Amino acid sequence: MTQQTRDRRAYKAGDELPPVTKVLTQEKINRYAEAGGDRNPLHVDSAFAATTQFGGTIAHGMLVLAYISEMMTAAFGQRWLASGRLKVRFRGAARQGDTVTASGRVLRTEGGSTLCGVACRNQDGETLISGEAEVRG
Amino acid sequence: MTVSLAALPKGHEFAETTFKMTQEWVSDYVAAVEDEAVGSLHDHSIPPLALAALSIRALLERAALPEGAIHVSQELSFSLRGEVRHALVARARIASRGERQGWVLMSIELTVEDETGTPLMNGRSTITFPATSGTPA
Repeated sequence: MTQQTRDRRAYKAGDELPPVTKVLTQEKINRYAEAGGDRNPLHVDSAFAATTQFGGTIAHGMLVLAYISEMMTAAFGQRWLASGRLKVRFRGAARQGDTVTASGRVLRTEGGSTLCGVACRNQDGETLISGEAEVRG
Repeated sequence: MTVSLAALPKGHEFAETTFKMTQEWVSDYVAAVEDEAVGSLHDHSIPPLALAALSIRALLERAALPEGAIHVSQELSFSLRGEVRHALVARARIASRGERQGWVLMSIELTVEDETGTPLMNGRSTITFPATSGTPA
């Protein structure tokens, strides 16, 4: 099945979106810091990060949020890129070694729009990000 | 010298920033976030969060994140229809700034359009950082 075919799948309220799972490493966090130009020591300096409330480096929120965007791209294809909307809160820190899973469930479909509840959780089930993602009609 | 976001008041408008989204940078971004979905769409499709990351990168060249800053929430809407060929123009302003229990809560509105004036993305980032990081002039 091609992506363009999957675009046309009619999701309905209650449907789960296929999840996306990634394992975070410090190398990945560093790579994102370079691409995103955000070299906040909280992300890339383990000595500094050890002195903070987090006790070590944490991933950029936008890196973890990208996993939700990937899940939405896989589910809705070009529609996500052309008419997507995200509204999320960062609720917990993702650390190197964490296995992060992005998941989503369709909350409502109306007038060609599809509203999903989305989240990222770590291997212990702790919520890192939660919120809504919508593909507009 | 780059000013710290901590030193900027509510209502501050950042100087307009023009930048290009090169295919090389997009490839670096896709590798950093391991996006396996966007590659299955049309050639030159861009992950929406790549546009957000590059815009935030452009903003961070104008104003540095205070040490210890934490991303609290993110809102994004995007309208990416195919390849981004034109130069991009980002505008940002500090929409709100408040202080509570020693922490500053700041929201930054960001809009991106191409040089023809076509809107591509708008969003609102909310961050928090220690009030000791600085005060507006």
